[in-house]
Amino acid sequence: MYQVQNSQALVAVHRRLFARGRTGPLVARTVMLLGLTSLFTDISSEMVSTVLPLYLVYTVGLSPIAYGFIDGLYQGAGALVRVASGFLGDRFGRHKEVAAVGYGLSAFCKLGFLAAGGVVGALSAIIVLDRTGKGIRTAPRDAMISLSTPKEQLGTAFGVHRALDTTGAMIGPLLAFGMLAVAPGRFDAIFFVSFLIALVGLGILTLFVQNKRVDEAVGEEETRPPVSLRSAAGLMKSKTFSIVVALGFVLGLATMSDGFVYVGLQHRIGFETRFLPLLYVGTSLIYMVLAVPVGKLADRYGRMIVFGVGYSLLILLYAAMLLPNVGPTMLVVCILLFGTYYAATDGVLMALASPLLPEETRGSGLALVTTGTTVARLFGSLAFGALWTIAGLNAAVVVFIVALAFALGLTAVLGRRVARVADA
Amino acid sequence: MLESHRGRIFAGLVAVCALAAVAYLLVASHAPQIAPAATKPAHVATRVATLEGTTADARRFLAANGVTHGTIVFRDLDRHDTSNWGRIATAPLATAGNRRLLGTRHCERVYVESGHGLCLAKGGGFGTLYSTEVLDAHFNVLHRIALGGIPSRARISRDGRYGATTTFVSGHSYLTPGKFSTQTLLIDMANGKAIANLERFKVTIDGTLVDKPDVNFWGVTFSPTDSNRFYATLATGGKTHLIEGNIAQRTARALHTNVECPSLSPDGTRIAYKKLVALAPGTPRIWHLHVLDLRTMKDTALAEPGAIDDQAEWLGNKVVVYGSGEEIKAVRADGTGQPVELVAAADSPAVLN
Repeated sequence: MYQVQNSQALVAVHRRLFARGRTGPLVARTVMLLGLTSLFTDISSEMVSTVLPLYLVYTVGLSPIAYGFIDGLYQGAGALVRVASGFLGDRFGRHKEVAAVGYGLSAFCKLGFLAAGGVVGALSAIIVLDRTGKGIRTAPRDAMISLSTPKEQLGTAFGVHRALDTTGAMIGPLLAFGMLAVAPGRFDAIFFVSFLIALVGLGILTLFVQNKRVDEAVGEEETRPPVSLRSAAGLMKSKTFSIVVALGFVLGLATMSDGFVYVGLQHRIGFETRFLPLLYVGTSLIYMVLAVPVGKLADRYGRMIVFGVGYSLLILLYAAMLLPNVGPTMLVVCILLFGTYYAATDGVLMALASPLLPEETRGSGLALVTTGTTVARLFGSLAFGALWTIAGLNAAVVVFIVALAFALGLTAVLGRRVARVADA
Repeated sequence: MLESHRGRIFAGLVAVCALAAVAYLLVASHAPQIAPAATKPAHVATRVATLEGTTADARRFLAANGVTHGTIVFRDLDRHDTSNWGRIATAPLATAGNRRLLGTRHCERVYVESGHGLCLAKGGGFGTLYSTEVLDAHFNVLHRIALGGIPSRARISRDGRYGATTTFVSGHSYLTPGKFSTQTLLIDMANGKAIANLERFKVTIDGTLVDKPDVNFWGVTFSPTDSNRFYATLATGGKTHLIEGNIAQRTARALHTNVECPSLSPDGTRIAYKKLVALAPGTPRIWHLHVLDLRTMKDTALAEPGAIDDQAEWLGNKVVVYGSGEEIKAVRADGTGQPVELVAAADSPAVLN
């Protein structure tokens, strides 16, 4: 009798422990669908961006200098529209439709590459439009992820989305190389297939994803004023939220772009530069694998802590760039550090900021965070390039290590206040 | 709309997209567009049919300049038979009625010197689009090295000890400074291993060590008497420099500015190169062929009037040859005379004396 009772208690404990695993899926359906949308879209866009340099220089016959100019356009176009699209999604409660415009624009730009042929002006315009599409879709997509996820699972949700997103970014180049092997020189085929894959992504979004109606959560008697520019600007009045934006900005200032990390490490690896693509692929792979578990850790032990640990790993990576020679083992360590840094910071920052924002201004708020970080990184990279030119690589890396340590110290001090609200 | 309807619409979308993709790829793979689209096909189409070696004009020009023997190796650019596009080809320089001979290797850039060859070819290991093939005298592949980037230049030292390749390295999709950078590798021809990357050399400009993120090297040419010594182009801060390097010491120093793709004459006294100049004020700067005398630093513009993007090759000490569009041309190295078409439908010239 006693034994039976005992085992029943054990079963009960077991049930409680595994309850979440049995009752619901890992993340909300919307998150999964948005992840799949991003997966297909990233396959599509990475296919094109992988072969674009080849296409522009070899088939169109562009000089590398003109290519550099087009590449600048490519990178600069996205940032501006982001805040606007986040706000529009909030204003009309239609994040899905705004995101669909962004995904659709990028999809049809792939057909534009086909139509533009070798006309450089037209190609530049399409590259800018393609990037604008990416800028449009980011904020409403992140807003939908956070709005469809319970507060305590935000880290996991963003982790799942980023893992799927990165998977697409890894498949894209492989698919492009595979297609060039089957049909050498047929860039038109790559653009066309890229368009079709983007259509599938767009199909998932438009057919299956639904806007969460913010009104439903609110009592019927309570009528809210529509989201205005003023209420979006009022977001910065929230002290905890403005701390997150400020921390994202300061950390971004002390971060060099991926390009500098790769080029910097290249200077340390010596002549075996053919392994350099592995650094990029390896980093993505680690990011993809760790995005979900690290997101879960963030939900469990605190997003601010995981976020801080992520940037500490980045300091270690920068320190590795000071080594006179980076051998194979050290290169693997660098890849692990860089991939884990991404897993611990990119989606986690969104999970960190989401609970600090009212639902009706979620899109504008998240757009502010990402735009702040992106703009700061641009400044950071410009500063790093200038420092490298003036003072040399080692000095530039040391300055950035010190700056990052300072920003991290600031995060430790101010972050507690955020953590009390965000992880409550 | 019902969920099941949406599922059906989506299944239809996926099916249509998959079918369209497969159909397009099938068509594309059966008609590969091997030839680049943006280069003057009309001009070439009329001349390539005979597939001769050197042109009659060229043979008269060569005879007038004292060239009576030798072979030219190049890349065949036959638009009538795309299976020949990019094949290594050879033709005697001064024999009338000759036909070009085609090799089996397809290359994007080719160079040969005293029984050794380099072919920068499509295809490589995992994740690389191109590789360097080290060839023997019969164009058989001895070694293969994966190349990161798009092939641009290849050279071999006179004694066949060292090779050098330049590629445009296209990086990943994130924000990258100097994303379109060049990579120049020195290769030990005996074992087909990359022995050094010029980016790791200690380079000085006016005695100051260069440590800049925007440093790029391209276009190596080896000293004809001492293969340890080479010249190349260094670009930094928007300027190009002629550098003289030492392989054993891993050092180089800048000698002169505005020099790209240098090529040493067989007597080692002069450098043919491309110089960025504006012919008239207000016109864009384009690359022109020049010759720089290393003893006097006297600079001479050659008679080729057009823009040239190639590393020139010397044919003896009086004539330089170079690719121009889809033909190989020759011009006197002293700035006099007129350029002549040497080989039609060809590029990437290398001269065997």
